[in-house]
Amino acid sequence: MKKTISILLASTALIAVIGIPAWSAMYGAGQFEGQHDAALGAFQAPGASPVLVSEDDGEDRDHERRLRRGDDDHEGDQEDDDDGGNASGPAPAGSVAPPSNGLFGTGAMPKVQVN
Amino acid sequence: MRTILAALALTTALTLPGIAMARPVTLTTTLKNYGGNGAYLAIYVTDPTGAYAGSLWMAGTKSKYYEHLSDWYRATGGNAAEINGITGASVGAGRRLEITLDLADALFDAGYTVHIDAAAEDMRDSPDEITVPLTAKGAGQPVPGRRYIADFSYGL
Repeated sequence: MKKTISILLASTALIAVIGIPAWSAMYGAGQFEGQHDAALGAFQAPGASPVLVSEDDGEDRDHERRLRRGDDDHEGDQEDDDDGGNASGPAPAGSVAPPSNGLFGTGAMPKVQVN
Repeated sequence: MRTILAALALTTALTLPGIAMARPVTLTTTLKNYGGNGAYLAIYVTDPTGAYAGSLWMAGTKSKYYEHLSDWYRATGGNAAEINGITGASVGAGRRLEITLDLADALFDAGYTVHIDAAAEDMRDSPDEITVPLTAKGAGQPVPGRRYIADFSYGL
């Protein structure tokens, strides 16, 4: 009996040692609300209300804006976007772990396929 | 020996659910044959209040075009840190993009919503082309897009 209890205690301690850091990695930066605050804080003045991503649920959001290759305000950029990014652009998938935004369970690399 | 095995099985059974807090989710986006060049797509999530929660994928690597993904851009300011490690090439007309990500379980059935903004060269921008709640029940159900996206679905 003593042996069983000591095994239980040992395995529980082991799980705690493994589990607590894993839990902290996911939730350590705060629960989702905390992360939102942190993310939004970068783009908003203190005390401002959160930015709603879309204020209009209508089907007829008519956007005249168009993406043109000529809209070039960054001299020296290449026109082909399949070149793996540029100095000021984001790091391509596979080169670094996904951001720690609370959406990703682990730091596992995304898998992508285009057919 | 038997008691040791039983004890180990019990502790493992009790602790595994706590550790398994994420699951692989495949996001599938099929584009229409809209007759233009590759589309830029921003796939991101909002929380139950409608506030931006984070990005899942960016198709298109040139940051100068991100302003055309207007809802995403408004929420993030085009900050590249939001999409480091989750950015790939733009997607051609008629092609299907499949992304498998390890997503937190807490996103499902909790009021979180996936959005996709789309834009293609010399064509109209299409913010919020897809809006779909993240629920276990909604998995595998294709949702039609408005302008460039034929349909979008997520599989658990």
